[in-house]
Amino acid sequence: MAEPAKNQAVDRTHIFYVPERARVMTTRREPSATFVELGFEDGRPLNHHPGQFVQVSVFGYGEAPISVCSSPTRPESFDLCVAPMGNVSGAISGLSPGDWVGIRGPYGRGCFPVDRMKKKDLLLIAGGIGMAPLRGLIQFICDNRDDYGRFMVVYGAKTPSDILFREETRQWTENPDLDFYLTVDEADDEWEGRTGVVTEPLKEIDIDPENTVAAACGPPVMFRFIAMELLKKKLPEERIYFSLERRFKCGIGKCGHCQLNDLYVCQDGPVFRYADLLKRTEAGEVWVPEKDQDTA
Amino acid sequence: MTATENSVVSASNFTRFLEAILAEQPVIGPRERPDQPGFYRFGRLAQAEDFAPDYGTTTVPPKKTFAALREKLFTFTLDSPPKLDLHFDSSPFVLLGVHPCDLAGIDALDHAYSQPPAEVRWTANRQRATIIGLDCRPDSYCFCTQVGTESNRNPCDLFLTPMKDGYLVEVHSDAGAALLEKAGTRKAGEEDEAAAEQWRRKKTEEIIPEFDAPVEKIADILEAGGLTPVWKETADRCYSCGSCNTTCPTCFCFDMVDDIEPDMRGGARYRTWDSCQLLDFALVASGHNFRGERWQRVRHRWQRKFLYLYRQFDRPYCTGCGRCSRACTADINIVDVTNRLIAAAQKEA
Repeated sequence: MAEPAKNQAVDRTHIFYVPERARVMTTRREPSATFVELGFEDGRPLNHHPGQFVQVSVFGYGEAPISVCSSPTRPESFDLCVAPMGNVSGAISGLSPGDWVGIRGPYGRGCFPVDRMKKKDLLLIAGGIGMAPLRGLIQFICDNRDDYGRFMVVYGAKTPSDILFREETRQWTENPDLDFYLTVDEADDEWEGRTGVVTEPLKEIDIDPENTVAAACGPPVMFRFIAMELLKKKLPEERIYFSLERRFKCGIGKCGHCQLNDLYVCQDGPVFRYADLLKRTEAGEVWVPEKDQDTA
Repeated sequence: MTATENSVVSASNFTRFLEAILAEQPVIGPRERPDQPGFYRFGRLAQAEDFAPDYGTTTVPPKKTFAALREKLFTFTLDSPPKLDLHFDSSPFVLLGVHPCDLAGIDALDHAYSQPPAEVRWTANRQRATIIGLDCRPDSYCFCTQVGTESNRNPCDLFLTPMKDGYLVEVHSDAGAALLEKAGTRKAGEEDEAAAEQWRRKKTEEIIPEFDAPVEKIADILEAGGLTPVWKETADRCYSCGSCNTTCPTCFCFDMVDDIEPDMRGGARYRTWDSCQLLDFALVASGHNFRGERWQRVRHRWQRKFLYLYRQFDRPYCTGCGRCSRACTADINIVDVTNRLIAAAQKEA
């Protein structure tokens, strides 16, 4: 059976690593990250699921995996939020409207389980740049608000100037559809909000453990403390989801860079159930580093 | 393919056969390195005499003919918008003189790369090649009998077993049969078959290293864990140079890098081999290194070869070629370390 032409383009990308061209529509520099809105030449949507990532090429600099931080319910363009940490992310941060990039993907079979989350209360926890992948999910939930129960979002940034999507976070604070808890590790003179690490507001939140799904994204060490808090609330390990970061080179489970024991984070994730991660020693070593040091 | 009887090609006929192939398509085969006599590499043969059938083991396995150390994926211009051009050569070639273990290495990568979404760059490169296997004589590092690759014929089109004068030729595909039509052959007789059998028996008898447990048991041992002392002891000797990865016929991890032309008008993206033993292999943008300790990287190599990929494909991702042990600057031997793991697990039990 002949496949539609669109799939051929996808195959070419998947198989031969040749990206598709996309154009920078808008950019916005925030103190610790740059927000980039992209569109394909032919205006087609990215067709991603919340939690997936794309491989972004800035030609001459290289390619880097970046989470899509917008929702597929807003298909006219797609957004990335990039902190300038390395060669490619630095180049992405320097993009201007009208510039061209290459896109492969979206990749990742493990996404946020938006269907399984239906009718459930949702608790999302973001630390630092981990807000980027969750922002797409927040948009998705807001656009399908009637399908979900209570909606709680906890976001911890290092300092007030590190808060990403500042305008949107202001809207979330005022939005009656969601309970938004914003905290910073270190306040400045003007900060009037909460101070403390991301787990502090989490402690205050009462959840119905029978009917809640939690999803978190942030730096590797954060997961351990979040898991501890959620387990204290009697939330089962099967209903806690973590979005992991690795240095994906291929995105299709071949290059080996993202291997976590028997899993390829790019293909089997990047979103995993905590219950599944618990069985993997290489995940445990990150969260409980002292555990393996004992055996020596 | 219908079953074909084996044939015999004499040494002089084989030279003519090779010349006939060389007249039509490139032949990649083992040849002595001009810069390092006594060392061999798979390279393009300019003439039939370049073929070195008695080679021991090449430093780098023949996987490089299908996924080169540095492979151009596509070119780009720095125009607005950029122009992208896929770079792929689809011309056919013959890969000659591949030992049974290295055939197994190619087969292992066929499995790994064909997992959906398949990597058609590898598959398309594989389709370019007609492969002629060649039986071998082991050295003290070879342990193919321990992983069951000593008589492997998959994947090859023709397979040669050296004889007093020429080779016994097995046909393993229609493409192989078609190629063999260029050769002057005679039907193999009982004596010829017996000589080939003798070659194989002598070969397996000469293999020295042995695993102290069957391969399926090694997977269980690695899965059970509790082997950190052995990993750390091995890591204490390891320099994390990555020689074991780059010489391994079943390693397939890679990196992708851009290069810009000096005129700054464009460049190309390349895929290069990578090594899980290098410090920054599992480093991420935020600065966390998921295998920042050397022993974690050493453990990863063993787990990948004998546990993860073993479970996924029901075969060890080790062909018994011994290259990693030969290449190791710290003289870390894959069989020794594996046996230490087995011993540690037995002590534990």
